[in-house]
Amino acid sequence: MAAISLLNPKAEVARAAQALAVNISAAKGIQDVMKSNLGPKGTVKMLVSGAGDIKITKDGNVLLHEMQIQHPTASLIARASTAQDDMTGDGTTSTVLVIGELLKQADIYVAEGLHPRVITEGFDKARVKTLEILDKIKIPIEINRQNLLDVARTSLRTKVHERLADVLTDVCVDAVLAIRQEGKPVDLHMVELMEMQHKTATDTQLIKGLVLDHGSRHPDMPKRLTNAYILTCNISMEYEKSEVNSGFFYKTAEEREKLVAAERQFIEDRVKKVVALKKKLCDGTDKSFVVINQKGIDPMSLDMLAKEGIMALRRAKRRNMERLALACGGVAMNHLDDLHESHLGFAGLVYEHVLGENKYTFVEECKVPQSVTILMKGPNKHTLTQIKDAVRDGLRAINNAVEDKALTPGAGAFEVTAYKELMAFKDTVKGKSRLGIAAYAEALLVIPKVLATNSGFDAQDTIVKLQEESRLSPEPVGLDLTSGEPIIPKDAGIFDNYVVKKQIINSCSVIASNLLLVDEIMRAGMSSLKG
Amino acid sequence: MGTREILSLQFGHYSNFIGTHWWNTQETSFEYNATSPAEINHDILFREGSTRSGQVTFTPRLLLVDLKGSLRTLPERGTLYESPPKSSEIDTNWKPSATETKINEPEQKNVFQEDLENSQITDFSKRCYNLESDVEVWSDFLYTRFHPRTVNIIKEYEHENKDSQFDVFPLGTAMWRSEQFEEDFSDKIRNYIEECDNFQGFHITLDASNAFAGLASSCIEYVRDEYERKSVLAFPVIPSSYSDYAYVTDEEKHQSLIKDSIRVLNLALCFNSLNEHSSLFLPLCTSYNGWRQPGPMRNFYHLVYNYQLPYHTSAILASALDTITLKYRLRSTDFHLSDLCADLNIFGRKAAATSLCLPFSFNKGSDFIDCLDNWDGPLSQSISPNCIIGTDKLMQTFTLRGIPEDRLKRPLQNAGKQKDMPAYRCNSVNEMLSLYLSCNYFISATNVTTVTKGLSVKTPYPSIFDPFVGTDGNINNTPRPEHLKVESVPTLAGIHSGACVGDMIESLHTEANKIKVPRFHQFVNAGLESDEFSECLHKLFDLRECYVESDYI
Ligand SMILES: Nc1ncnc2c1ncn2[C@@H]1O[C@H](COP(=O)(O)OP(=O)(O)O)[C@@H](O)[C@H]1O
Ligand SMILES: [Mg+2]
Repeated sequence: MAAISLLNPKAEVARAAQALAVNISAAKGIQDVMKSNLGPKGTVKMLVSGAGDIKITKDGNVLLHEMQIQHPTASLIARASTAQDDMTGDGTTSTVLVIGELLKQADIYVAEGLHPRVITEGFDKARVKTLEILDKIKIPIEINRQNLLDVARTSLRTKVHERLADVLTDVCVDAVLAIRQEGKPVDLHMVELMEMQHKTATDTQLIKGLVLDHGSRHPDMPKRLTNAYILTCNISMEYEKSEVNSGFFYKTAEEREKLVAAERQFIEDRVKKVVALKKKLCDGTDKSFVVINQKGIDPMSLDMLAKEGIMALRRAKRRNMERLALACGGVAMNHLDDLHESHLGFAGLVYEHVLGENKYTFVEECKVPQSVTILMKGPNKHTLTQIKDAVRDGLRAINNAVEDKALTPGAGAFEVTAYKELMAFKDTVKGKSRLGIAAYAEALLVIPKVLATNSGFDAQDTIVKLQEESRLSPEPVGLDLTSGEPIIPKDAGIFDNYVVKKQIINSCSVIASNLLLVDEIMRAGMSSLKG
Repeated sequence: MGTREILSLQFGHYSNFIGTHWWNTQETSFEYNATSPAEINHDILFREGSTRSGQVTFTPRLLLVDLKGSLRTLPERGTLYESPPKSSEIDTNWKPSATETKINEPEQKNVFQEDLENSQITDFSKRCYNLESDVEVWSDFLYTRFHPRTVNIIKEYEHENKDSQFDVFPLGTAMWRSEQFEEDFSDKIRNYIEECDNFQGFHITLDASNAFAGLASSCIEYVRDEYERKSVLAFPVIPSSYSDYAYVTDEEKHQSLIKDSIRVLNLALCFNSLNEHSSLFLPLCTSYNGWRQPGPMRNFYHLVYNYQLPYHTSAILASALDTITLKYRLRSTDFHLSDLCADLNIFGRKAAATSLCLPFSFNKGSDFIDCLDNWDGPLSQSISPNCIIGTDKLMQTFTLRGIPEDRLKRPLQNAGKQKDMPAYRCNSVNEMLSLYLSCNYFISATNVTTVTKGLSVKTPYPSIFDPFVGTDGNINNTPRPEHLKVESVPTLAGIHSGACVGDMIESLHTEANKIKVPRFHQFVNAGLESDEFSECLHKLFDLRECYVESDYI
C-alpha cells in the first residue's frame, strides 16, 4: 500500500515539498545551535554527561557529534562538517552556518514559486565565481615566523582564551618551523603531542627534542645522563616463550629445555653487542649511552645494561623510531650486526621525570632536531583534551599556510568582498538563476553578521557600515570585534587559511543543493527501488 | 620467574557483561589477610599502580570498548584516580560570560552501586538487591574499579540507537582505521605492555555478531604484527537472545530475520579473521545453536537462569573463562598461555570448543571418589555453539576447582567399598580425575589442572543456584535457608579440540553460504569487497578441513 501512494504523482509532489520544508527547518535549527560559537567572541560549550563526564568545546564539528542530533538532514550537514575538519582542520562552524543560510535564502524564493533546480543552478555559478574572487583576494606570503604567527594566532584565539592562545601560537609555529625541511612537505606526525596532567594549561611548552611516556624499568639505571649516544632499535631483548617453543603434549621436557636455553643465549648475545659498543665509545670519556627499543627488554637484559650504566627504555612507540632519528640523528636499527658509531644519535641531555605512576623521559639538547615535542600541561583530562584539540588545529592552520603559500583576510572581509562582487556578477547573468546568485551572495554575509552579533553589535548596522567602507577602500574590509567598526584585517593581522575558505565554498553549495533537490533525489531513489 | 602478565581486551557490550562478571568474581575472591600466598597469581591479570596522591591501586590490566551511552553512571575515567570535578569549578579556558553549560540529568545509581560508595557497608551478602531488574548495562553491577585508561568509548555510534547502528563487521574495521582510534588504542596497549617484565599475551573477548567483531579483528591483526611472538587467545561470544526477537508485527519479524542474516555474516567474517590472526579461539554461547536464532538454552544441574538476561548468561560464560584460564594463572605452574595455544592449535586447528559444569555437583559430606563413581554421562557440557563434544580423539584440558584434597577418599581403615575401586590408589584430586577421564575418553590427550578454591559467586554474581546448593557450593539434601547466599562453588571447565569443532565450523559455513550477500548492501557500503566474502567462506571451509580425522592422534 505504501508503494501506491508513493507512485501517485500528486502525493509525490506533496511529499517532496514536505521533505524540503523539513530540510530547511532542520538546517535552520542546527544553525541556531551553532551560531553563538563563531569567532573569538563566540561561546564555548561545556557538556556534562549523566555520569559527570565533561567535554569542553567550541568546535562546530565536535558539537554536532556530541549533541547527537538524530536527523537525516543533520547527519548530512554533520558529514560536511566532518569532511571540512578532515581536509583542513578548521571552518566547521562556518560550514554549518553557510549551509543553513543558503537554505534560508533559497526558501524565500521557493516560497515565491521558484523551482529549487533554478536556485541550485545559480548556486553553482556563484560557487565558480566565488572561487575566482577568493583567488584574487588571497594574499601570497613568504613562509616566515611572523606570517605564520598571524594565522595561528587568529585560529587559536577562536579556541582558547587569549593568554593561552598566545602561548600555543608560539609553541605551534616554532614546532612547525623546526621540523620543516626546505622543499619537502611538512609531516605533522614529526611533532609529538605529549600530555602531562600537571600544572596549568599555560605551562604548555615546546621541547626541542623528544619526550617519551615511559622510563627505564631497572632501579639501578641512571635517571639522568649528559652527552648521550642514542641507540634507537627494534630488536627483541627479552626471552620469549612463544608458541614455537611451547606445548606440553608434543615436546619432551628436554626438548623444551634446549629450546629455552638456546633462546636465552641468543638474547644475551644481542645485549652483549650493545654493551661492547658502549664500552668502546664511552669508557674513559664523558659520554654516556642510552638504548631506546621498540621491542621488549626483560629483567635479565636490563640488568646487564644497568651494570654498564646504560639507560634503556623498552616498548617505544613505533613512530618514535622515526622521530628519534630525526631528533638526534642516527638510524633505527633492526639488527645489531656491524653496529657502528655512525648508527647512533646524540643528545646533550637525557633525563627521567616521574609523575605518580607515570614516567617521562626527555631527550633534549639535540643538535638540529627535526622532530620536536609539544608538551601539553593541564590540571585535568578535559583541559588536556581541549589543549590537544587546539594544538592540532593550530598546527593544521600553520601547515595549511605553508602549503597554500597564501592567506585570506579574515574578520568577514572575504565574505563582504565576495558579496560585493557577486552582486555585480549577478547583473551580467541572464535568466532566473541570477536569483540563486543573489541568494548565495546574501548567504555568505551570515559570517560577518554572526561575528557582529556575537560581539554585541547589530548585524544590519554592521553590514551597512562594512559595505560602505568596502566601496571606498582598495583593501578588503572586515569587522573589528571590539569597536564594531570596519578595519583592514591585513593590517590587524587577522587571517584565515585559503584552503579552509575554498573548501567551505565548495562543500556548502553542494550540500545545500542536495538538500534543496530533495524531490529529485527522492525520485531517483524510488526509481532505483522500482528498477 | 616473575609474573607472566596478560593484557585483557573486551570489545562490545556483551563482552563487557562477561568481563564485568569475570573481574568481579576475581575481586570477590581476594583474601586480604591471608597467611599463605594465594594459589592464583592475580598479578597476571591485574596490575599494581598508584594514584597521584600515592595511594596504591590494584586494577585489571584491561582495555574495553563500548558505544556512547553504554556506561550510565560510570564516568569514562572511573572514580579511582580522580573524581569527576564539579561543573562549577571548571576552568573552560574561555571567558566565563561566554560559556554555555549543558548539564544532562545525572543518571540514577541503583542500590548496589549506592552501597559500593557507602564505606559503612562491607558485607553485600546481607543486603538485598534487585539486580535482575536493575541491571541495564554492565556498569550497573560492576564491583571492580578500573584504571582511568581502561574504558574507551566510540562516540560515533550510540548504544541501542536504531538510527546509528554499529552492526556490520566492516564498520568495525573502518572504525579501527580512523586514525584517532588506532593511535589512541594502540598507545594504551603499549602503555600496559611496557610495564610488564614477562608479558605473555592477550585475552580478547569480543562480540562476534556485530561490528565489534570487525574492530577486534583489526586490533588482533595489529597486535600480532606489533607484538609478534605473544599469544592471542580470543573468546568470540554470542548472546543467547537479541532484543529484536520480541517482535510483534510482521514487519518487525521480517526485520528480525534480516538481522539474523546480518549476524551470521558477521560471525563468518569474525571466525575467518580469528582463524587467520589469533593463536586460538573459543566460540562461546549459552544456547545450543548460536548462529541464526541462538536456540534453546543449555541447562545445567542445580542452575536456574533466565536466558534472556545478559546479566545471567554472561555470569555463566565468565565462570567458564575464569576456570579454563586457571591453568596458566597459578603461582605454582610454569605453564604459559603459549603452551595452551601450542597444545591445542596444532594442524591449524585454531578453533576449539569449551565445556562447563557449574556447579560441579559434589554432595555434602561425600568423597570425590564416590562422586565420580556415581556420575552419569559426561562431566561437563558444551558451551560452544552448534557443538556436541564427543568422547574420542580429543586434545583437551580440564580444570577442576573447589574440591578439597581431604575429601578425595576415606582413609584405608574405613574405606569400605572404595577400596575396591581402581581409583582408590590415586592420591590427589588431579590424579583421580585424570584416571577417570582416561577411562572415559578414547584415543585422547587429556591434561588436568586442579585448584583447591572454588569459584567465588558472591554478590554481585547472580543468584542462579537452586536451593539445594549450599553456601559452600556443595549439594545438600535440604534446601538452603532463604537468607543465605551461595559464596563459592566447585566448577569444572574444559577446552577441547577434535572433530566436533569441525562440525561447528561446518554448520556456520552452511548457514553463511545460504545468504545472498549482495542483498546486504550495508556490508558493501561499509567497505566490504565483493569477493572478500566468498574468500572468507573458502577459508572457513579450509579450517573445517583441518579437523577431518586422520591418523594424527
Ligand atoms: N580577531 C578576529 N576578529 C574578527 N574576526 C575574527 C577574528 N578571529 C577570527 N575571526 C573570524 O572568525 C571566523 C572563524 O571562527 P571560528 O569560531 O574559528 O569558526 P570556524 O569553525 O568556522 O572556523 C572566521 O571568519 C574568522 O575570520
Ligand atoms: Mg576556526
